[in-house]
Amino acid sequence: MATTTFLSNITTLTVNAVDLSDQATAIVFTNMREQLDKSTLKDTSRLFTGGLFNNECTMTLFQSYAASETYATLAALVGTATTVVATVTEGAVTKTFTLANCYLESMPVVNGALGELSTVDLTFTGGTFTAS
Amino acid sequence: MKYVIQSTKLGVIGEEFEPSPGINVAALLDGGFIAIQESTDSTKKAPTIKKTPKE
Repeated sequence: MATTTFLSNITTLTVNAVDLSDQATAIVFTNMREQLDKSTLKDTSRLFTGGLFNNECTMTLFQSYAASETYATLAALVGTATTVVATVTEGAVTKTFTLANCYLESMPVVNGALGELSTVDLTFTGGTFTAS
Repeated sequence: MKYVIQSTKLGVIGEEFEPSPGINVAALLDGGFIAIQESTDSTKKAPTIKKTPKE
């Protein structure tokens, strides 16, 4: 059995076309489709079918209030839809994952603790997921 | 009117930015990543002002 292990190297991460890969510490892209129960009285186990896609992208970024950094990129995006693109490279293979028209509901504007770097956790929901 | 890149986080400063579908242009303007540049058409003639004849 052949296996490959992958060091999580995100070569590109853009939010609303702005490159934030130098601020990102974690990202999870989830391609999700809601399950609809189609079981009937005739069935002896539950059966499901696919409903609407409900994709999600969560990420952790270092907070920065400097020009063209985290806060400047995200502040005006709260309550709107945007596009998130992440590119990963493994050897000769490059995969680009795009979540278009995803919604950013909230952003923590201050998240600090003594002796720690400030970070923001973001969740982009909905939108159209494509992989290329 | 066109958008011009103002930050290296978005591209090369000074180049035209053509937003692809799904990009929130208002947020980019608000964050100072792009600026609006009004097109200057040099071939366009300035409007002529008609003088009213003196009586």
